Amino acid sequence: MPDTSQNKPLLQIRDLAVSFPTGGRGARRADQRRRVRAVNGVNLTIYPQQTLAVVGESGCGKSVTALSTLQLIPTPPGRYDGGSIHWYGQQNGDSAGVDLLRLPEKKMRDIRGNQIAMIFQEPMTSLNPVYTIGEQILEAVLLHQKVTRRQAVQIAEAALRDVGIADPGNRLKEYPHQLSGGMRQRVMIAMALACQPVLLLADEPTTALDVTIQAQILELLRELQTRRHMSVLLITHDLGVVAENADVVAVMYAGRVVEYGLVHDVFKNPLHPYTRGLFNSMPALGGAHLRLLAIPGNVPDPSQFPTGCPFHPRCPSMQGDPQCANEDPPLLEITDKHWAACWHVPGYKQGKRTTPDIAYRREAVGAPSPPGRGLG
Amino acid sequence: MSEIDALIPHPGMPAPEPTALVQPPPRDQARQTLLGMVIQRTFANTGAVIGIAWLGVLAVGAVGAPFLASSYPLVVKTTDGQWFFPLFRYLTAVDVMLPILMILAIALVSLRRFSARKRVVTFFLAGIVVATTCLLLIHPQRREVFSEHRELQAAGKVQWSISPPVPYSPRDRQRDLGYPTYLPPALGGPHWMGTESSGSDVFSRMIHACRIALSIGFIATGIAVVIGVIVGGLMGYFSGVIDLLGMRLVEIFSAIPTLFLLLTLVAVMPPEWNPYRLYAIMVLIGLTGWVGYARFVRAEFLKLRKQDFVQAAIACGLPLRSVLFRHMLPNGVAPVLVEASFGVASAIMFESVLSFLGVGLVDEPSWGQMLGEAIGAAGSFKWWMAVFPGLAIFFTVMAYNLIGEALRDAIDPHSQRSTML
Repeated sequence: MPDTSQNKPLLQIRDLAVSFPTGGRGARRADQRRRVRAVNGVNLTIYPQQTLAVVGESGCGKSVTALSTLQLIPTPPGRYDGGSIHWYGQQNGDSAGVDLLRLPEKKMRDIRGNQIAMIFQEPMTSLNPVYTIGEQILEAVLLHQKVTRRQAVQIAEAALRDVGIADPGNRLKEYPHQLSGGMRQRVMIAMALACQPVLLLADEPTTALDVTIQAQILELLRELQTRRHMSVLLITHDLGVVAENADVVAVMYAGRVVEYGLVHDVFKNPLHPYTRGLFNSMPALGGAHLRLLAIPGNVPDPSQFPTGCPFHPRCPSMQGDPQCANEDPPLLEITDKHWAACWHVPGYKQGKRTTPDIAYRREAVGAPSPPGRGLG
Repeated sequence: MSEIDALIPHPGMPAPEPTALVQPPPRDQARQTLLGMVIQRTFANTGAVIGIAWLGVLAVGAVGAPFLASSYPLVVKTTDGQWFFPLFRYLTAVDVMLPILMILAIALVSLRRFSARKRVVTFFLAGIVVATTCLLLIHPQRREVFSEHRELQAAGKVQWSISPPVPYSPRDRQRDLGYPTYLPPALGGPHWMGTESSGSDVFSRMIHACRIALSIGFIATGIAVVIGVIVGGLMGYFSGVIDLLGMRLVEIFSAIPTLFLLLTLVAVMPPEWNPYRLYAIMVLIGLTGWVGYARFVRAEFLKLRKQDFVQAAIACGLPLRSVLFRHMLPNGVAPVLVEASFGVASAIMFESVLSFLGVGLVDEPSWGQMLGEAIGAAGSFKWWMAVFPGLAIFFTVMAYNLIGEALRDAIDPHSQRSTML
């Protein structure tokens, strides 16, 4: 393990809280217009060149966290209720960092795409159907870099070649509908990376792709990350993807982080019952189960989160403990660099109240895994 | 080392070997844009082709009006061997500008070697240059009657001359020269569509009226579309309070009765503004007609702002202008185009109604004004004054409606499926 503890963090999300209104437009009375916390007190820290995986079921606030980082949550309906997102990746050497939540729109535009880029889940709809992919990449390049059009074309071609697209000169002149899903996701990555961002937010980059393409795209992301010294915030619900790529894992449930730790620690010794449930519901090769184990129940409706620990109605460890139903467990450091939020984790009472912060980065993967290898 | 690393230097470890290139599937589909597809499907529709053909006839009439119908001969040779080109001496700036622009447009449409965007940009740049040069350089004297040629003829000095196909200008008030008014049409006669109250040739006026019919539709609708797109786009993109205020504004404007506002405007306008009456009508139709487009664009933008590619464009750090007009508008403009083609038709109707009521254009020939003369001062019904302009209005409005419907079918995927099966 390389000692990176003296590294400065790149991005610090502290107590982020984002809410949306419910009750629809017809609800005029104040009590009908309650607001729902989609994200409630999330803490995440990303270090340079680190991959932080955020895992969780649909609707647990993963995407909202990522979108908040770029101020992409539409406000009004949404609202940033509290917390801060400190960004230390400013290229002008400003070490104090800026709070991305409070940055004016104009300054935000310098950060979007240029310092922090984002790729989306659906490659089929993430490219504008009326422009060629060349026009779309060029627009971003010309916006952020002081280059002539000819240089920009070269950069765009190189970006396409970098993501493994053959004949980039001709591909640039094609429209999105002429490309397959995997190709489009490569184009999306090329577009995101054309401006050399420091941090890449990957919101389920492989969910919409078939399995062989998934492996290729992840391989590509990993390789580009090593080459470009990028940090990646990887949002996924696929634990296989996490095992292959992540350095640090944050498990989210109902808008909060319930477990946070090194990828080895979380995989070897999952503390939170929700994390254990996730692992149990993964099919194992050669396993004797006739049926897959599933976590009973559903993700709670965000407008009616249960009191106490949000997981308690589905939790196997609760066993009628009234504390679970009444008190929300905070995220505590149980063992060194391993946080969890559950009253029933052994040693929880002695846990330290610290902010999750791990600078660990896997040994720089010298040789990328051979192409075509499946998921973990 | 990959190329991008070479282009933008940054410190760091040597790059690993690039992964094997993915071979793209063979390119069997032709490169076809959405726009290309829509144009192709529109042209496959018989009604649209008829409509476009009729508009083409009108365009030729509008552009070539001074060459098709004028009392000035094209060429005159006098008995003492002198040559005159009276027609060309009295061309106005617009008369010169329009044919040049039309030739330019046809040339650029047929030049398929360049991209559509390049051709459009060239057309607009050249158009601005041509328009300013013409307006600056050409100042003809205004002559009402073909007096010079007539004097030459009266003096017996004309050896021979070539006249345009319709040798009458729209404003030849031949009544003053003792010419018969309200002459019924006579095929092969001097006046194919008869004459009107002032003795002017109806056919000549019909041709010259094409200009107003086409320009009022395009300019009025153009103003309305521009306002509607901007207001509707902002409402749809920002939603919230801006949307609320915008929709109230839309409701206020929808409550204004355009026709009565036009009548009032024409009534209160001082007579010295008469030359600008046409423009005032256009602007007013545009200023009140944008609400429909704003509603359409708002609805489209409300849908589009949640789309991934719009989010991706914002996440790329593109400025609002680019997100709104480059990335959202082309995806939401289709219903506006359909609506605009109906809007052009209704603008033509407005002008015809105003002219029919006698409060429209004063001096310019217009179909509605001619229609009004059918039951005018003469006391009896003059059928040719009703039939020819009436048919022209009818065909033009129908042409725009046919094109609008064909466009709607071409854009709407549902109707496409039903016609394909």
